[in-house]
Amino acid sequence: MNCEVCQLKELEVEHFEIREVLRCILHTIVFHRALGLVRPKDVDLELFEITYVQCGDVELEKKIDEKIDHFISWVEKHPNKKSQICLSFYEVKSKQPSWFTNKTERLYWEQWYVNLNVTQHPKHHSSKSHHTKLVVDPGESATEERSCRRAMVEASLREVLFQIIKFVNEKKDHVPPISEGVIYFPYEITIPRKFQ
Amino acid sequence: MEMDRESGKLEQIVSQFRSKILHVILDSRVPSLHHHHHQQQQESLSHSRVRKTDKWFNLVLGDRPPALENLNFSLRNLFDPMVIDIILVHRGSCSSSVDNLYSPSAPAAGPADETVIERWVVQYDCPRFIATPSGADASVSYKKIYKKSIILLRSLYTQMRLLPAYRIFKQLSSLSQTYNFDLVYKVSSFSHPFSREEESGMKEYIFAPVEALSGCLSVSVTYRATLSDFNLEPLVSLPPKIITDYVGSPTTDPMRSFPSSDKGAHATSFPLRGARPPSSSPFQRPHSWSSGFHRGFPSTKTQSLAGSPPVYRTSPKPYDIASPPTDLYGNRIQNQRVSTLQQVTAYDEYKSSPPFSPSASPSTPSYLSGTNPLLTRHCSETAPVTIPLPLTGRSTRYLSPNSSDPSRHSLPPLSPRSSKHDASSQESPSGIRSYRKIEALRAGESPSGLSNNYSAQKVVRDSKDDSGRFSALLSSSGSPRIGFSRSSSRLSFQDDMDDCEFSCPFDVDDVDVSDSSRYIPYSFFQSLCLYCFP
Repeated sequence: MNCEVCQLKELEVEHFEIREVLRCILHTIVFHRALGLVRPKDVDLELFEITYVQCGDVELEKKIDEKIDHFISWVEKHPNKKSQICLSFYEVKSKQPSWFTNKTERLYWEQWYVNLNVTQHPKHHSSKSHHTKLVVDPGESATEERSCRRAMVEASLREVLFQIIKFVNEKKDHVPPISEGVIYFPYEITIPRKFQ
Repeated sequence: MEMDRESGKLEQIVSQFRSKILHVILDSRVPSLHHHHHQQQQESLSHSRVRKTDKWFNLVLGDRPPALENLNFSLRNLFDPMVIDIILVHRGSCSSSVDNLYSPSAPAAGPADETVIERWVVQYDCPRFIATPSGADASVSYKKIYKKSIILLRSLYTQMRLLPAYRIFKQLSSLSQTYNFDLVYKVSSFSHPFSREEESGMKEYIFAPVEALSGCLSVSVTYRATLSDFNLEPLVSLPPKIITDYVGSPTTDPMRSFPSSDKGAHATSFPLRGARPPSSSPFQRPHSWSSGFHRGFPSTKTQSLAGSPPVYRTSPKPYDIASPPTDLYGNRIQNQRVSTLQQVTAYDEYKSSPPFSPSASPSTPSYLSGTNPLLTRHCSETAPVTIPLPLTGRSTRYLSPNSSDPSRHSLPPLSPRSSKHDASSQESPSGIRSYRKIEALRAGESPSGLSNNYSAQKVVRDSKDDSGRFSALLSSSGSPRIGFSRSSSRLSFQDDMDDCEFSCPFDVDDVDVSDSSRYIPYSFFQSLCLYCFP
């Protein structure tokens, strides 16, 4: 079976935006791979005017939040670095049992790479000019800059979500059959080694 | 036989897929249906029950809107495309309807603009040569198709929340504001092409089709990339306030004229307008129904059929606007079902056409759109009042709700022939009219502004006034109905008033009733009737 890989467009985010952005992206992906019976739950982002969909599973939500916490800790230890978080879906196959091992192996059939560039936003300095009488209010331009930046991040996040939709639509053949009573396929969320 | 069974399965998948998609779209685009669904979902969540329809495609959406009940009949040919138009109905530049009461120069609302902002097309194409799988292959094949359909539905569900129209839907779904626009839908088996101008502002997204050996299921959406061209502003919602310059107020000049009721005082965000001229070419299509009030697209010769679909009415009928549903959304649908059935022709396709009258929108009933139905009806249906209410010298003051003047004797003498009262009463009709409107407005207000859930026949009681107050409310038929806030004897009096059938509002403050009685003598009204209609 092929393992389909999707590299999502890189997002430039600030530290405080990581949680919301990752929640949005990871839940959107999982919703498209939770092919069991789900009651969709709409979630409005607080920082952006985007609504994404969760599959409404409390356990799943908890696990994703844990992984995001783990990722944020890593980012704090490695500031101003490009980072990546990987969401993989796999099937569990049991290896041929032998006397010594009875292992199962994971056959990954899909991997999503979420690429983030976490930046520290520089503090705004007063742009008072000695040559002009006009005094620029530092607060106003900082607010404008911030809202402009926020709009760009929102647009980029929207693009990423459309990218996810496009990918799940175009590639369906590799998705394993749905098992009875299973809501979502086994998955794992990791930080790739090269970024550790 | 096996082939029939297999093709039957596929048909079932396609049929249920169409229903599900329609459910997803309507639930994410039509505010009133969303509210109805949301209420039911709140109830069902507590019972944690999953309906049979929810299990299809493993997506629990709750009860299907009644419109879907007719889907399988009206669009039963699976090979006909299902076209769902989401239409933005935008009222003209009309400010708050209450402001218009006090500013006669305010512009009247213009005709509603209707723009298709999204068009969803669901199509099942059958290839020329059908290779029908058999046996185990067939089972695997249909499972794959079903799985892919689930994924397609998931992505459509997500995409619906990312398109520009979703923001409008969310705004409208908020009950704390009223707007000068609304979202309605139309479902049909074919679509009129967009004009070049319309096309230029639109984008298209085609979902990857689900291919089956016996057909191909595809979904596409054409949508307006931006909705910033529309002036989608919330209306100014008035906070509750005490109006001091009512007729009879000490601060009011008794000679002041108030704006007449039939100009400008209308509600916005209400696509159903009485004054619109009938369309010269009624909307004629097979397999089509819609919510809301929209212009029909120009029909072509090839498309017109005998037995036209329910054409939208241009003048609001009483039953469209009136009924005071206890459960707004449920009963509203019921009422519309009744009104639709009344319009359905003998043409078979429309015998079981959807329950929504084309002129009464499930998504935009007048009061659900946040308008004040009394104001709306008053403008469109009520004749100017000319009731000459005989009044005393301090007569206008009896209309004040909270006057504490114990010496007021506001009831006029029983005889209507007193010339003394005639002179002062000429001004009172408009005053009474304005006062009644104010009361009606106050009746409809919620703490957050104009209520979306105002019942047209609700009896108003001023909480500040312990003695209660009579408030004349317009019924749907235009004849006034005087509601009494207290004893049953007043209710019987009300019945008597209904029999009288004079079409004028009437407000009486029973604080000013004489000490011995809290009831206005019936003979007074009788004489009033005689005065109005000699």
